[in-house]
Amino acid sequence: MTAEQVLRPLPDGIGTRLRAWAFDHVDLAFGLLRTVKPILKVGGTVLVTRYDDVREVFLTDDAFPVPYRAKLDVIMGGCPFFLGMADTPEYRRDTAAMRKAILREDIPVRLAGAVEALAEEIVEQAGGRLEVVDELVRRVTFTVLSDYLGVPDPHGADLRVWATRLFEFQFADPGDDPALRADVDRMAPALRDHIDRLIAARRGSNTTGSDFEGDDVLGRCLALQRQGEPGFSDEQIRTALMGMIVGGPPQPPMVVPQAMEQLLRRPDALMGAQAAARSGDDALLAGYVFEAMRFDPLAPALPRVAARDHRIAVGTPRETLVPKGATVLAAFRSAMHDGRRVPDPGRFDPRRMQHEYIHFGHGLHTCFGIHMNRVLLPLMLKPLLRRNRLRRAPGPEGHLTKRGPFAERLWVVYEA
Amino acid sequence: MSQTVLSVVLEAQSKGLSTLRELIEQLKHEEENPPPPYTGSYSRLRSLVPTLHFMSISVFEDDHFDPVLVIEANFDGPQGPFWAQLEAAIGPRLREILRYCERPAGRTGEAFDLITRPGSKHPLAPFLEAHTVMPMIFHQGNRGLDRRRIDREAKLFFATQEKLGNGAQYRSTDAVTLHRTLRSSLRGSFDWLGEPEPVRIPGRERLADLAKLAGFVMAALLVLSFPGVLLALVVPNGWLVVIVSLLAALATGRLIKDLPDLFRQFSGSEPAPVSGPPPRMRDAFARDAAKSAGSAVGSVLMAVAAALFLAVYVALAAIVFGAVIAPLIPAPFGETAAAAARVFALGLSSVPFSLCAILLWLRRLEDRDPSHDEPEVRPERLQDMMRREDFIAQNHMGSMVLVKPGLLRAVLIRAGLAGLALILRVVATSGYLGSMRTIHFAHWAMVGNGSRLMFFSNFDGSWESYLDDFIEKAHGGLTLAWGNCVGFPPARFLSLEGATHGRKFKNWARHSMATTLFWFSAYRDYTVNQIERHARVASGLRQPTLSPEEAIAWTRDL
Repeated sequence: MTAEQVLRPLPDGIGTRLRAWAFDHVDLAFGLLRTVKPILKVGGTVLVTRYDDVREVFLTDDAFPVPYRAKLDVIMGGCPFFLGMADTPEYRRDTAAMRKAILREDIPVRLAGAVEALAEEIVEQAGGRLEVVDELVRRVTFTVLSDYLGVPDPHGADLRVWATRLFEFQFADPGDDPALRADVDRMAPALRDHIDRLIAARRGSNTTGSDFEGDDVLGRCLALQRQGEPGFSDEQIRTALMGMIVGGPPQPPMVVPQAMEQLLRRPDALMGAQAAARSGDDALLAGYVFEAMRFDPLAPALPRVAARDHRIAVGTPRETLVPKGATVLAAFRSAMHDGRRVPDPGRFDPRRMQHEYIHFGHGLHTCFGIHMNRVLLPLMLKPLLRRNRLRRAPGPEGHLTKRGPFAERLWVVYEA
Repeated sequence: MSQTVLSVVLEAQSKGLSTLRELIEQLKHEEENPPPPYTGSYSRLRSLVPTLHFMSISVFEDDHFDPVLVIEANFDGPQGPFWAQLEAAIGPRLREILRYCERPAGRTGEAFDLITRPGSKHPLAPFLEAHTVMPMIFHQGNRGLDRRRIDREAKLFFATQEKLGNGAQYRSTDAVTLHRTLRSSLRGSFDWLGEPEPVRIPGRERLADLAKLAGFVMAALLVLSFPGVLLALVVPNGWLVVIVSLLAALATGRLIKDLPDLFRQFSGSEPAPVSGPPPRMRDAFARDAAKSAGSAVGSVLMAVAAALFLAVYVALAAIVFGAVIAPLIPAPFGETAAAAARVFALGLSSVPFSLCAILLWLRRLEDRDPSHDEPEVRPERLQDMMRREDFIAQNHMGSMVLVKPGLLRAVLIRAGLAGLALILRVVATSGYLGSMRTIHFAHWAMVGNGSRLMFFSNFDGSWESYLDDFIEKAHGGLTLAWGNCVGFPPARFLSLEGATHGRKFKNWARHSMATTLFWFSAYRDYTVNQIERHARVASGLRQPTLSPEEAIAWTRDL
């Protein structure tokens, strides 16, 4: 399956091209704003660009909650998912519940090896010419994570399409496109049914968490349900698994190829990343990949909505009142380039400190899979980076193309 | 990379002082025993704040002011990234500590409320940055060596020592071969040896330091020539202006007690017997100046340089004045500038008079200064300080003293510190402060709206030997910096005696000190000298080849 099939076609108009151009040059605009108008109010929207203020927005979750609830209700059929919640007892119960099923020790024991092995197999089989977005990253992500979660492809459909479409609706559809909504109205109930059937089938087979074969997230959830743990009703298990599928696997095929493109633009960095991959220095390799992502992260900003009047940057000359109901865009891409807190932000430095990155959000709604992503995203590229004479494929296909916010295609060649 | 020296100064709550101290001690304990994955004392702070050289937290208590919390830090690069690093490393502990400080007046009060309210996650870095006090004057030993470089050059040095072993196998090897052998065996582990050596003080920084010092001297000349400028505006005869100015200087100079002692101090000749204890050794700056002026050629060159400098001053002043005034009057720019040049040149003749007038005023103030008894150092406080000293190669001191009141003192302390700061930046470029080779970082800063002078230093050796070093080698600069402070041993002309009263000075310094409750050093085992030695060894190993002379000199550091 290629991006053509996974991603929705975009209208080929001037608006699309203008948006693409603006996305490509957004760092220039952010740099200017950080200096002259760090907190920009336009109508009911407030764009926050400095590191301090972006962190403040994320950390002040009582004043700036996430605006995801309404669309999550559409996807989840009205069942609450913690991504849409404020810092409530339900939020804490549901996140704690999922931490009992998605364990940190799974990362080294189960996931890291699987990701690296599958990526190696793909790179080996490709024979020296590989498409990074679909053939490598999307395939590795969905194969490993759907196996880990215990949610395989539904009959006659593809989880990659459903998850990516639902992700787009939830996070990348500010204009509420009716065509996308039509897709969602079809795919979301189908995914809910699919997971319900999996739960019923698993319960029928009675292999829940009792042996390694059944030891996936779904199996563990059902085992915890049997033990009477709170937060594990069938509906809650289904919602959590859907949340993981919609919020998780669609993202690596965006950011990992973008990181690869950034490495290809910097021969020294590519050479360093390859040396780290070859020597098995995974920590340094992660440094290269996340630093590359800093130059083209998941999105320019994440939205929040002001639940009450609140002043940002109190005590500074840029102090700004954000009125209740305003949409606040916390430009984390800009924050990661703010030289006021990030040393020499224009320099590619694979040894940056963790706090200089805001790839996974910050505060209450920091990405649930942050630890998983920190380890697995670099490993998806590791086998490819180990190859000799790794370079862009000739012609335009050797340069990353995007479709809206999604990475679309990037071909590379290497010594088979 | 350049280094930054700064402090954050906040009023502490009198009622919560013991809790505040406990919290700082807890931070100390936590950093000495950091949680996994960090192993080893202070390893968390060392790795999460990779730019940090030294940091201390102290609480100053004095009968004359409310208790004050001071966080002092010496680090690489600008302060913004440093505060972000520090918040990421010890933010929760710092937030607890800040809760026991007074709410600041002014615009940061609300930010203080936000960061100290229960359960707050509000960013700390902007608040700490807003309360930063930059030093009036600072000295940085090992100038231009950032922490990464200090760390890796030390590693290289010890690897070199390991290769050398007891030296038996290299006894018959000549220096050039030894260098080549060591370099080739170390290149594999230290790939940075192949990179060009980073410049310790970049040319633009050096130029900026020189330009700032020149600007300061010109501003001082402008102020000191003010009487002559006024005279030249009303008296058309230039010679008359010069004669009147010089006569006024002579007359004022005769009124100043002990003026010859001051001349002797700066001319480098033996001092006449005076009532106070004689200076034991020339001040480093005075000696350097005397050395360079020693030869006749040097004197001529200096005179030419001084004349050129004065000509540039007059030209600049005339151009600026002309550019400002010419549009307001019917005369053309050239004429206005020429007239201004004449006035500013004549104005220079009154500089000796202005200096004499200031010295006369200063001496009168010094004569009338109340005599201070030697301050009493509380034994329990002294014990608390001493039990934390001399654990490693380095030590730390922090002191806060009251500044004497009065307009002249207020101007002199600021001008004196600013001038001394600029001179230090220009002359102290070798990694040392003159012949003092024990200071890593030291700074003076004014706090409490200029009512107090704060001093911090991270130095090698014991406190006693550090102060002895200061008294012996830099008493002049020390007296200039501290001579305007209450209780400082009696000084004349802000440069004579003062710190040479060794015992009095030490007592006064101890009295003004606060116990350092938290202290971090990134390289606890290295002295300033040792770091310079590492740098010389590394510098040699970076060179593909050395001449026989260079190689012999290089092996002396091995």
